[in-house]
Amino acid sequence: MKNKILICIGFFCFLVLTSGGCVGGQQKPVGFSGITAYDEILYLGSVDGKIMAVDPAARKEDLPFPSSTAEWSFSYTVPSKGISCGSSSVPIAIYGTPAVIDGSVCIGIYEGKVFMISPEARSQNLDFPQARSGEWAYPKADDVIERIVGSPVVADGTVYICCSDGRVYALDTTYGDEKWKSEPLGEKLWVTPVLREQTLYVSAFDGHIYALSAKDGSLLPWDFESEVGFVSSPVLYDDTIFVGSFDRSLYAIKIGDDKPLWTFPGGYWFWAAPVVKDGVVYAGCLDGKVYALDSKAGNVLWEFDTKKYIEDDRIVSSPVFVDDLLVVACESGEVYAINIADGMLVNKVSIGHPIRSSLCVQDDIVYIRSQDNYLYAVDVAKGKIDWEFPLTIE
Amino acid sequence: MPNLWNLIIQDPILNGLIALSSILPKEVQFGLAIIILTIIVRLILTPVTLRQLKSTKAMQDMQPKMQELQKKYGKNKQKLQQETMKLYKEAGVNPIGCMWPMLIQFPVWIGLYQSIMKALATTPENLLDLSRHLYSGEIISRALPLNSHFLWLDLSQPDSTMILAVLVGVSMWVQQKMTTAPPADPRQQSTSGMMTIMMPFMFGIFCMMFPSGLPLFWLASNIIGIATQYVVTGGWGYLRRTSTQTEPGRTGKRAR
Repeated sequence: MKNKILICIGFFCFLVLTSGGCVGGQQKPVGFSGITAYDEILYLGSVDGKIMAVDPAARKEDLPFPSSTAEWSFSYTVPSKGISCGSSSVPIAIYGTPAVIDGSVCIGIYEGKVFMISPEARSQNLDFPQARSGEWAYPKADDVIERIVGSPVVADGTVYICCSDGRVYALDTTYGDEKWKSEPLGEKLWVTPVLREQTLYVSAFDGHIYALSAKDGSLLPWDFESEVGFVSSPVLYDDTIFVGSFDRSLYAIKIGDDKPLWTFPGGYWFWAAPVVKDGVVYAGCLDGKVYALDSKAGNVLWEFDTKKYIEDDRIVSSPVFVDDLLVVACESGEVYAINIADGMLVNKVSIGHPIRSSLCVQDDIVYIRSQDNYLYAVDVAKGKIDWEFPLTIE
Repeated sequence: MPNLWNLIIQDPILNGLIALSSILPKEVQFGLAIIILTIIVRLILTPVTLRQLKSTKAMQDMQPKMQELQKKYGKNKQKLQQETMKLYKEAGVNPIGCMWPMLIQFPVWIGLYQSIMKALATTPENLLDLSRHLYSGEIISRALPLNSHFLWLDLSQPDSTMILAVLVGVSMWVQQKMTTAPPADPRQQSTSGMMTIMMPFMFGIFCMMFPSGLPLFWLASNIIGIATQYVVTGGWGYLRRTSTQTEPGRTGKRAR
């Protein structure tokens, strides 16, 4: 009897722990890659770990994928670690937004690699990497660095990318060779650095804004220190950095100062990097509101509350501008077009699936990749979805 | 239902864990917070644990009498049942009395387990999910994100050295040995022996699968459990008795 009870308890423990590992407890990384438009083609990462090139014109006409050599899909898997509940190789997760350099696509993956991808080689589905086509992976072969969450920044033949080992890496765009890597900057870096005049600015979980030399990665004399970590990527406008913090505030930090120019308390974290236009900072917050703040003084010009429409909604992705409209996508799948002058709602479109990825605008159409692994083209001026495309396609 | 679970169990434990982390040195904050919170939860559950231990001990003390009854009425099931119930009544023991304190503790342990996993927030999705469960306040925001390094461990990753797996397995084996009476019936001995090895072995395997924050919690919990049992039962319990039973000249005798 006692043994039976023990066996039952043991089995119950096993079920609880196994289900916790596979289902609950911690979610597996899925990614929420943003979209980049270059030369009429959209580049993005899918939920199932593919890097894709999509031609909006072909998708609008609903042509078979790929419709031309401009469209391709590149799948990359990594071996699963330890004892796995599923298959032995798993798809990669992509959080960053691809950068396009001379037609080649650069992206960092969560599993700790940076890729330079040639559309020409991918359209022929050749083995990766094709060095002759300018393709590379950093580090080479099966080596990896720590997790990569932020997007690459490219300038002057160099790719700059932040890593969870706390370092910033500078890689040669042609061969993928490491030019330099910084000293570990506190804890993991999940952000996209911002580059201005040979200086990289990085916001860190340890509460610092670091300034690094883009030439050799050395720390420059100025840094900003806060008691609380920074959660969003920094945005630079004029000489001021705007960044969200774990204390639920948006910070405006003038470069060179050791005290913030102003801080604005939100209802929750400013997870998404804000956008700035004509002296106004537009910041989406996890409290479901969009705040328009004067960039000099930090006073509220207007605020738009998405919770009027959907209870407990949150803004995870950065807003974008379409002419005089600010387009904000919410985690619930609602997309709002707001007049930037007064914060009044102009149009509303419902995707119906969670949106966490950065948006992209081309020819007044907003492209959104939602967590249901579809790409949506939204005409915000008309308030309708133009077309949608399943990224699950092989 | 999940909201009620979060409201009553998970969120208070999670925020307690993070608040505790914020007042500890950054280098060891989360590892130490797990250990301290395990001790606090153990202390809060002490009355329940003591009751469970006493019930278990009473049940174990009744084993010789139970075996006598089995020998006496083994063929008459109905009579055996009646006599067993009578024995329980005379001793003032509820046969499922050692089960319900365990059941009361279970939600707290599951809540603690979930909180550790959530607080580690190893992926951006986890960090976003964590934000849904946090209370407002400087003490919480100052601790975030938690430093997952503790001694040689990255608490958000499984321990590749297997040291933690061995420690958890051994401590669990010791704890089980202290409480599990060796059955007099030789047919049950192999089953019982298997159970005492299987559970620590299974948890040792789990240690290699889960972020090491969780095995750290198991290890802390096991050590506290061993200490509690040592104090309450006044010694190493059946761990010592089992080892002395095998000594020459003492076979079959229970050491006192």
